[in-house]
Amino acid sequence: MQAAISMKKRRQLRFSRLKLLNALTAYTFLAPYLIVLIIFTLIAIVTALYLSFFYVDFGFTQPIFYGFNNYLHIWYDLTHNGDFLIGLRNSTEYTVGVVTLQTILALILALLLNQKVHGLGIFRTAFYLPAMTSSVAISLIFYWLYQPQGGINYFLALFHIHGPAWLENPATALPAIMLLNIWTTAPTFMLMYLAALQDIPDTLYEAARVDGANTWQIIWRIIVPLLRPTTFAVVALGSIGAFQMFDQAFVMEGASGDPLRSTLTAAMVIYDTAFRNSLMGLACAQAFVLFIIIFAVTLVQKRYIDVNIQY
Amino acid sequence: MSTISEVGGKALPQAATISRKRLPKAIHPGHILLYLILTAYALFSLAPFLFALSSSFKTYAQILAWPPSFIPHPGTLGNYQFIFSGAQLFPRYILNSFIYAVATAALNVVLAAMAGYAFGRMEFPGKTIFYLLTLAVLMIPTQLILIPKFLVTYTLHLTDNYGGLIVPAMVTPTSVFLMTQFLKTLPKELEESAMIDGCSRFRAFWQIIFPLIRPAMTVVALLSFQGAWNDFLWPLIVMSHQQNYTLTVGLAFFKGNYVTQYNLVLAGAMISIAPLVMVFFIFQRYFIQGLATSGLAGR
Repeated sequence: MQAAISMKKRRQLRFSRLKLLNALTAYTFLAPYLIVLIIFTLIAIVTALYLSFFYVDFGFTQPIFYGFNNYLHIWYDLTHNGDFLIGLRNSTEYTVGVVTLQTILALILALLLNQKVHGLGIFRTAFYLPAMTSSVAISLIFYWLYQPQGGINYFLALFHIHGPAWLENPATALPAIMLLNIWTTAPTFMLMYLAALQDIPDTLYEAARVDGANTWQIIWRIIVPLLRPTTFAVVALGSIGAFQMFDQAFVMEGASGDPLRSTLTAAMVIYDTAFRNSLMGLACAQAFVLFIIIFAVTLVQKRYIDVNIQY
Repeated sequence: MSTISEVGGKALPQAATISRKRLPKAIHPGHILLYLILTAYALFSLAPFLFALSSSFKTYAQILAWPPSFIPHPGTLGNYQFIFSGAQLFPRYILNSFIYAVATAALNVVLAAMAGYAFGRMEFPGKTIFYLLTLAVLMIPTQLILIPKFLVTYTLHLTDNYGGLIVPAMVTPTSVFLMTQFLKTLPKELEESAMIDGCSRFRAFWQIIFPLIRPAMTVVALLSFQGAWNDFLWPLIVMSHQQNYTLTVGLAFFKGNYVTQYNLVLAGAMISIAPLVMVFFIFQRYFIQGLATSGLAGR
């Protein structure tokens, strides 16, 4: 009797020791990743929230507890037409325009490339080239092209259109950057759509053709609905990226959002607050507000766009 | 599919006799239109680069000419000579970017493969939580953590040196996600049979699994290299001395100093673009294949 009990216990002990060893091995594999993740992302997020309740004059004083004053400052800014409001407004206008157009363009390109064409690889590389170059290099090239005497106005002049001074006119500066970014990021989303399109079985197309559907109906009634999860990913990722646009505006127009703050984005406001005015606490609060906005927008998008697809 | 064209002596309707072959022998207008549109967009995609490339060989006077010319008469290497001359720090910028990009790519491949192995092929308490955390972190806007990340880096004395660039980026959630998805697709028997014979987990990982994940390695390496080479905002914040700037930051300030000398600015842009284009052109097949197998199909 005694021997039987202790054998069972021995087996249980050995099993849990194995599980412990297994868990330790797993965490050894995970260790480098978890260390980086915890230090540079998780601790950073918590610190961001924590600091947003402090007054921080970086490099000069120790952080002073400030309560909700940073957030009250933001509220005042938002209700009195301050820089942060302008930045948010520009970012929203920018995001709506860019995400809408680049999603449509990405879908069209993916549908075009989904055919059996010769030289598919060459076309795909050519289409993807804008997406793989750095934002700075592209901003430099387009800074030159957008000059009043530059390539774009020359192209328009061929059609007898007199192009504006794109980057100096407050009405056209942000749209110019929008066009630039649509051109740059549509190919990445085209790749996502292409991968999803390849999951749609050919038999669906054939069945539709047999039933007499034309191409337009196939696209609208079959392909687009089946692509909804991908569309959600494209729209959500696109919005997250667009709300944080910084590089292009910074390189092309400078850190104050010239002309007349028309290219001042929310991200640029945060950068200015943190690194030109050294107010790190306020910048953290602003970043947190921006995050809440992006998160809310993504939730709404998920609610209305995403579906579960089963074949 | 059917190539039968008659049943019971009567001809079948057209739809039922569609042949399996996709490429028709005859060229019909729809195809020509497709190629036209594809070529037009390819030109639209490439034109700014080609125009910038040719203009980077122009003199200052030539680049201001209207109407602009597509081929410089004569071409000059003067812009590139100026950039690589002693007065500018471009060779240093390029070196900094190169070290950052190569180190990030190499470290990501190894460390993300390890993490992906744990997530994808092992069971342990806390696995689900940490994996969900990985996915959640992917959605966090960089702006939120930018400042405290800078403060953490500053506290660790990693600002203004390579460490500040490489360490936060040496294993990213994206790389781990890609590796995990890919590693899940390999059959479980591979290392189990070795371990029954007494092989340790580590050896099983290094000698059996690691050599098999080449497509995922290519994708992770390329994406990490590209991300590090093109990174602008983080190097801008982390580096304070000019000789530590990466190529992107150096280019932005170069533009600030030589703002209207477009020929110089464009030559600088070309230097930033050329290495990536070459790398991608060589590896594009593996890249696309790797992206597809990692399950980025929007589900």
